[in-house]
Formats: sequence, structure tokens, C-alpha cells
Amino acid sequence: MTSIGTGYDLSNSVFSPDGRNFQVEYAVKAVENGATSIGIKFDDGIVLAVEKLVTSKLLVPGKNMKIQTIDRHIGCAYSGLLPDGRHLVNRGREEAASFKKMYAEPIPIPALADRLGQYVQAHTLYNSVRPFGISAIFGGVDENGPHLYLLEPSGTYWGYKGAATGKGRQSAKAELEKLISKRPNLNARESVLEAARIIYLAHEDNREKEFELEMSWCSISETNGLHKSIPKDLFDEAVAFAKKENDEENSDSDDSGDDSDGSDSGEKKDAEGDLQLE
Amino acid sequence: MAGLSFENYQRNQFLSSRTNGTPKATSTGTTIVGVKFNGGVVIAADTRSTQGPIVANKNCAKLHRMAPRIWCAGAGTAADTEEVTKLVGSNLELHSLYAGRAPRVVSALQMLKQHLFKYQGHVGAYLIVAGVDPTGAHLFSIHAHGSTDVGFYQSLGSGSLAAMAVLEANWKPELTKEEAMTLAADAIEAGIWNDLGSGSNVDLCVMEVGKDAAYLRNHRTPNVREPKQQSYKFARGTTGILSQRVLDVCQVEEQVVDVEA
Amino acid sequence: MNGIQVDINGLKRGEVNLGTSIMAVTFKDGVILGADSRTTTGAYIANRVTDKLTRVHEKIWCCRSGSAADTQAVADIVQYYLDLYTTQFGEPSTKAAASIFKSLCYENKDNLTAGIIVAGYDDKNKGEVYSIPLGGSIHKQPYAIAGSGSTFIYGYCDKNFKDNMAKDEAIDFIKHSLSQAIKWDGSSGGVIRMVVLTAEGAERLIFYPDDYEQL
Repeated sequence: MTSIGTGYDLSNSVFSPDGRNFQVEYAVKAVENGATSIGIKFDDGIVLAVEKLVTSKLLVPGKNMKIQTIDRHIGCAYSGLLPDGRHLVNRGREEAASFKKMYAEPIPIPALADRLGQYVQAHTLYNSVRPFGISAIFGGVDENGPHLYLLEPSGTYWGYKGAATGKGRQSAKAELEKLISKRPNLNARESVLEAARIIYLAHEDNREKEFELEMSWCSISETNGLHKSIPKDLFDEAVAFAKKENDEENSDSDDSGDDSDGSDSGEKKDAEGDLQLE
Repeated sequence: MAGLSFENYQRNQFLSSRTNGTPKATSTGTTIVGVKFNGGVVIAADTRSTQGPIVANKNCAKLHRMAPRIWCAGAGTAADTEEVTKLVGSNLELHSLYAGRAPRVVSALQMLKQHLFKYQGHVGAYLIVAGVDPTGAHLFSIHAHGSTDVGFYQSLGSGSLAAMAVLEANWKPELTKEEAMTLAADAIEAGIWNDLGSGSNVDLCVMEVGKDAAYLRNHRTPNVREPKQQSYKFARGTTGILSQRVLDVCQVEEQVVDVEA
Repeated sequence: MNGIQVDINGLKRGEVNLGTSIMAVTFKDGVILGADSRTTTGAYIANRVTDKLTRVHEKIWCCRSGSAADTQAVADIVQYYLDLYTTQFGEPSTKAAASIFKSLCYENKDNLTAGIIVAGYDDKNKGEVYSIPLGGSIHKQPYAIAGSGSTFIYGYCDKNFKDNMAKDEAIDFIKHSLSQAIKWDGSSGGVIRMVVLTAEGAERLIFYPDDYEQL
């Protein structure tokens, strides 16, 4: 952050001399401190999972959903400033509705990604607005099969086989990479279990804080192409699986020393894909 | 006063009640045709313009140049055919300057039909559009509401029925340029003789692929006025002079100035 | 005009009319559109070889009836939208095309006289036919007929249409149907034009009075 205080971080519509938009980079900071969200794409669908930090004992367990539905066939999870996410989802719903009104068919997910990307990008151009303080993972199934996208505060969006954002993204991404290279042909139910395991694993660095897992999926075989939350029996199975796997992992890593747990302090291990501020 | 004013409507109602209705626009109660031939297209028109039962102009021009090689024959409201042709013609020139290539007949057609459709028939232009461009020779017709037709031969205007009779009787595939010119001129003549709204001369425009358009004004003049049998001029002195008075209404002073000095 | 029944004679004075017989029929390999070729202004035939089968996309075409100017303008706009759709999202479905037609016809129903049949082929949904009559409603049908001449052939078509006909069978069905429509409707006439839409693409056919009058 060598350029802080030079004045170029005050306005959205001004570049710094080395070609950076600081407001966007600060928005990324907001995301990096947010609760972890992940998404996995499998053969005929996608699963979304988020770490829901319990900020008060008074909150009703199992309620206060964080994952939202953009259209019947598209779900969205995000990390960062939650109201920004709700606004983005609202916009996504408008875009999906306008597409359906015009063409009488559900919006293709790449088309929605493009429209949301443009909308987020527009918030990096003008003095009167601030960028979105979220990274959104959204996806679902359309006539061309499953799609999973990660949309960043700059407006950049890429399609992924597995995506992670938020505080625990480093370990989650490492785990997703291992998973996808080892088991490229996951089915829906296996993916749900793995998603649960990865959220539990990513929470390890933050273990002093209590959290709740929330998951949803959209698959041709399991939900008929609709975005739905995970049925209770499968959800419980996934939580049990996640707890068991992580307990084993922890006892393993006690033997082998520092293996895969948080290297956030890390100068050596730097996951690709993250915006680097230093 | 807030809101819309309807005072002009009331004025017009009053005026039309006191006169013989509202003034009528000059209508080219016309015959126009177009005929395609091998390697080009020809369009033709009569030259009579009317205001109701009165011949307003015995030798008007109904063939309009929209681009050097795209010409247009107009029927309907004279002012509208003139203006819409000029407007689209100049937009066509801007477009060809921008695109850096010769304008196309289909572009003229699309611009005309979109303009006319916008005005829902209130711009009373009935046009035959023809020309040559890098894609070949083309012939179209447009009605005032914005509908278009394609064909090897077209006729429009009050004399179109007479003209179409000639076209249907004598048209054949693979016409030569000369045959097409004769056919087009014959069709216009049918309008001139058999339609009250059409008359006087035949104007022609021939557009050949790869050549400049040839505008043949008064190609045929079948209605040359006979010289008068007698002179109606009165000889000097026909009227007797009772008295005479000459007034100097202007006094002229001249002064010579030497400019050499 | 009482709000429910729309004035079907709502043509403006001197407007060019497609007093038409048109139809579109799904068959085994796709869909076939058919139309007569007569355009009238009052009692005068303004064009005896009109092409009422209009392309809006490679394998999505429409049959036009009503005002020539209105239906041409609508088809031009739909063609533009489908072009845009193709660059943004890829090949449009027939349903999407019909939906755009419907929006234009419905939103502007007070100013339009347009009865349109949209027919198209795509690999996923095969041949499809959508009928969009005067009010701007939309109806998916195995086959559709429209235009002034269609009133005479409702019975014939109902009796003789079959699902999954072979191409020649479907062409014969259309030829016989339109032949009757042309025979009994004064505003229909000229040649019978057809467009066959299949996986292979679009194929044009033409039948002259000598071919179809003595069927």
C-alpha cells in the first residue's frame, strides 16, 4: 500500500499514475474479510456453500438465509458487504425477468454473468458511486448445462469448475484444486459433501468464532434444473461427513506438522487469482 | 394558458365553412413505371401535374435523383415525393461518404420505407425506386404507408392500370436496353392517353451497370402544341386615342467625373 | 370497436392489403410455410407475385397477413432483434422469435393490422409453429392457417392434417389447402409459394396456377 495518502484513492473516476483504481482495491479488502463462500460445478449442476458466522446467540438457527435465488434456475452466494450482495441479486432478478419477458425463455447464465459484470463495472467509473464490496459466486443450469461464475468488485467475471472467496478462500481454493484434479467426475451428492467439508476446513483458521453452514444446489438429476436448498437428510449427512473428515485431518496434521492449514501469514504461499495489494 | 391549444383547429373549421373546404395539395395524378433489362433498369414518368381538375404544370419533372445512379419516380402528393426523395437522397450521400462506397438501392429503399411508415401514410409519396450499385441493378416500388414490392416491372399512380396493361401485354424476360426503354415509354403513353390525371410528355432515366445514369428529359413529346391558326394580337391603332398626357415621373441628372486625375 | 372485438377492417384509406391465404405446417423433418401471392389496394391487384414468406433468421420465417406496410415493418424489427440476439447469446429459438413478434404486435395493437404466423426449425425443438392473430395473443400449434382465405379451409385442414407427415405429404397438404383457399377467396390468388425449413436449411418452392388449380 505504498500509494496510500497520495490522494488517488479518494475518487473512483481517477487513475493513480501507475494505473490503479484504489477504490476497487479497497472493495476487494472488504471481500477478503468477509465470511467464506464457495461453489462447485459437477457433471449436471452446481452446489453453493457459505460459512455463516453467528454474530448473536439470539439469531434463529437455520433461518436468515444468505444464499439467494436470482431466477428459478440460478443461485447466488457472496462474501463481503451483505447489503451490496442483496442489491446485486436484486439487479440480477430484474435482468432475468426482463430477458424472460422479451424472449419467453429463462436467461442463459453466461448472459446474466455478462449483464451483472457490466453493472458492477459501471460502479468503478463514476465519482458518485462506490464499487461493490462483494465477490459473488453464482451459477445454475441452463439449456447448455451447468455454469459457475465468480464476479469480483472490478466487474471481472470468470467461469470456474470450483470457486472460493472470502476470508477462508486460500485454503478452500487449495482444497478445490486437489478435489477437482483427483475426482473430476463428481456427482451432485458427492459435491454437496465435499462442499460442506471445504467450508468446515476453511473455517479452521477462524475456529474461535461460531458458525453455521448453509448450502444450496441446482442440478438436472436432483432438482430438475431448479435452484433449491439442500434437503435436511443430505444436509445432516454432509455436516457429519465434514466434521469427521476435518477431525481426521487435524489429527493427521498433528503428525505431519504444518500441512494445509492456514498460511494466511504466508509470504511463501500465495494463491494465484487474488488481487495483490502489497 | 396551460395545456394544449386548439385554436388553429377552430380557425380551420371556420375557414372551411366559409370557403370551398381546406386547400388541396398539388397531386401528381401520375403515370410512372420501371422496367428491368439485361444489365440495368429504366424508369419513366409522364409530366402532367394537377390541382383537382386543373392542369397545374404541363411539363413538370417526376424523376428525382437520389444518388448519381439511383433514381426515383414519384406519384401522389408532389411536395411529399420531392421532399422525401431529397431528404433520403442527402442522407444516402452522407452514408456513402461515411462508408466510402457507392450507395445501394436497398439502402435507399429501407430509409424511404422507414420514413414513410413513421408518418403512417400522411406523407403521400408513392415511389418507384431504381438504380445500379456494386450488387447489380434493382427495381422496387414503395407505397405511402411504407410497404415495398420487388419485381421486373412496376407501375404506380392513377395511370398505373393503363401502364400495367401495356407492361403485362408486352413484357418478356431478357429485354435489351432499347426494348426496355420502348416498353417503359409505351406504358407511360398509355397513361398519357387513357388517364385523365396523366398527360404531356415522357421523361426517362436509364441506369446501366457500370455506367453513368442517362436522364432523358422529354424523351417523347407526343403533345406538342400546334401553332395557332390566327394571331390574336391587336394591331396598333385599334383603339382610338381621345387625349394624351405625358408625365416626367423621374428626373435624371448626369455628371461626368474624370477618373484619370 | 368495443374493446373486445377489434376492427378487422381497420385499414387506413388506400393502404396496401395482404388479403391473403397463409399457413404453416410442422412435419417429420421440420416445418413448411405456405402462402398465396396476391396483394390488393381496394379492388386492384397491386402485386400478383408477392412474397409473403419473410425471413427473420436463417431457419425462422414468418407468413404475413393484414397490412403490407405494418407486417413488413414488424418483420424488419424482429429480424434486427434476432440478429442482435445471435451475436449476444447464439442461435435463437423459434419461441424467442415468436415472443418478440408477440410483444411488438401486442404493445402496438391499436396501430397495427397484422396477423402473423411464425414458423422455424432448431435442432433442439425441431419444427415449431406459432400463430399471432390480431390482438397480439400467441398460440403454439402443430399447424396454423390465417388470412381472409383461411376461413374456407378450416374444415379441410382439420380433416386432413396428420402429425409427422413426410415432406411430400406435407407439401401436398399445403398445396391442396391453399388451392381451395385461393379458389373461394377473391382476395387470394397468384402463385403458391412455400419455404421448407429442416436441419439442412431453407428450401424455396413455387407452384403455378396450372399446377394447383386442377388438383
